[in-house]
Amino acid sequence: MSRETVVAEDAANADQARLADAVRQVSAVRGRSLRRSVLVGAALLAAVIVMFGVSLSFGDMVMPIGKVVATLFGGGDGGSQFVVLELRLPRALLAILVGAGFGLSGAVFQTVLRNPLASPDLIGISAGASAVAVTAALLFQVSGLALSASALTGSLVAGAAIYLLAWRQGIVGQRLVLVGIGVGMGLSSIVWYVMARSEVTDAQEAFRWLAGSLNGRSWGQVWPLLIALGVLVPLTVLAAHALRPLQLGDDAAAGLGAKVEGGRLALLGCATALAGVATAAAGPVGFVAFVAAPIARRLVPGRGAALPQAALTGALLVLVADFAAQHALPSVQLPVGVVTSIIGAPYLLLLLARANRVGSGG
Amino acid sequence: MADHTLEARDVRLGYGEREIVPGLSVAVPPGRITVIVGPNACGKSTLLRAMARLLTPSAGAVLLNGRSIQEMPTKDVAAVLGILPQSPTAPEGITVSDLVGRGRYPHQGWFRRWSAEDDEAVARALLSTDVLELADRSVDELSGGQRQRVWIAMALAQRTDILLLDEPTTFLDASHQLDVLDLLTDLNRDHGVTMVAVLHDLNLACRYADHMIAMKAGRIVAEGRPVDIVTEELVGEVFGMRCSVIEDPASATPMVVPLGRHHVKGPPA
Repeated sequence: MSRETVVAEDAANADQARLADAVRQVSAVRGRSLRRSVLVGAALLAAVIVMFGVSLSFGDMVMPIGKVVATLFGGGDGGSQFVVLELRLPRALLAILVGAGFGLSGAVFQTVLRNPLASPDLIGISAGASAVAVTAALLFQVSGLALSASALTGSLVAGAAIYLLAWRQGIVGQRLVLVGIGVGMGLSSIVWYVMARSEVTDAQEAFRWLAGSLNGRSWGQVWPLLIALGVLVPLTVLAAHALRPLQLGDDAAAGLGAKVEGGRLALLGCATALAGVATAAAGPVGFVAFVAAPIARRLVPGRGAALPQAALTGALLVLVADFAAQHALPSVQLPVGVVTSIIGAPYLLLLLARANRVGSGG
Repeated sequence: MADHTLEARDVRLGYGEREIVPGLSVAVPPGRITVIVGPNACGKSTLLRAMARLLTPSAGAVLLNGRSIQEMPTKDVAAVLGILPQSPTAPEGITVSDLVGRGRYPHQGWFRRWSAEDDEAVARALLSTDVLELADRSVDELSGGQRQRVWIAMALAQRTDILLLDEPTTFLDASHQLDVLDLLTDLNRDHGVTMVAVLHDLNLACRYADHMIAMKAGRIVAEGRPVDIVTEELVGEVFGMRCSVIEDPASATPMVVPLGRHHVKGPPA
């Protein structure tokens, strides 16, 4: 073997070693990030389960957790069965489902449109649901499941209208957000017009729905939402495959072979429907969709959309907020939306102040 | 590495009513570095975007290996041809390795998500752009030069034989511009990657281009080796600028010395 071939082989071996080392480093970085993501997800899930247990055992009548669990599995007396299974369980389940729906919806909206202000409660999707639901309730005396259906219809119609109005040979996040805020304001004025025209007692009922409330919710709201999420969540997971390239902007995504317009439309469609079914069940619970995803992204930085964590954060948020709404004031049950707004509004101000400072406009 | 062919045939390009390229044909020489130059708004980025199927021609076609690029499945195109868009923006908080990993998208399916091959492609991309030690840093924290290298790494992780780059040196200082162009030359020489880049700096273009395309008002004025085409007349015609063309003392390629109204020796011409 000549000296040159030995030298060349040494160099090749050194290159191989360098590459192997780099591969190890890359997979280690990925592993660390994945572990953190799983860990945070598990912690959030545990917190949701704990809060779920607390919601079931606390109330006018405090029940030890052992008795709650026994009742859940078919034990307990008639009284505890009624309190846990008929009053508290549907309400707590609904809080989880509504929160998860809003959290997932907001996360998809914000990542697809690359804008932290792009959440269904700020860009007119919730306003669409409110306008149709309030009109249906006050002018046509619609209630129950039909009222939920009209809220869902309202959010889907508003979503489609905003998408079409913002379309100029493609969708730009900034423009869609502005169009959405404008459409939302128009729809809110419809809500107030209908409210102003109706009887005070009816209007008060509508107002409670508008604030976003879980008071007096029962299994009748849980099942439709559970079924809807059973369909929408898998669809969102499938559509989210295109989210990774889409996050890099339209040109880079198209260059990577993603179907930009189709992928975005599918994702926005899923997210609009998610917000719609959640609103249909509990009313437009303010700011949950808006804050859940940013909190989740902060917990798992550098992992893109963090959709599962955002859904869990939303669920935890609504559970905690509803618990506070029920027990914060001794004599009054607040609508849960009031509590979530207390959390969400300062964050919106913070975001606007920061966006102004860095000049990104959101 | 297989030499793929890329050409535009009689393409008309524009945005809406506004036509920018009124019919143009060009073939990219395989395995070489092609640089497109021209004044602002001459259609050079538009042409590059059309060649990357980001813009659909209103007439004519872009052909990749003889097939219309618009009619091929977009993921098949992405396996052969990569594009680094002009000043791309990374999502907030994304890490370097995550961003570079997204270049693997065309090689992943709905169910086959991440493999050892993906790790290796990312590792190679990070090594050749010299950003391995930044792997777990957030892209937000990087300098302009580092950020551009990370984006190039993302395009490299895609492992394509053709790479289109829209002004890859814009916003970089002089030394980082050289770094990026040296890096592209390494990739071209070591792996035979066909490069097409839009560049602003004429002298760097002359130095790094195997093949130069000079455009004005949506048309190609001249194309060929810089040493064959870059003359005082051409620069005058394309950029509307008086200059003298001398030999670059470092590379023996043409060097354009612009002549303004002031600070020029000798009697006025």
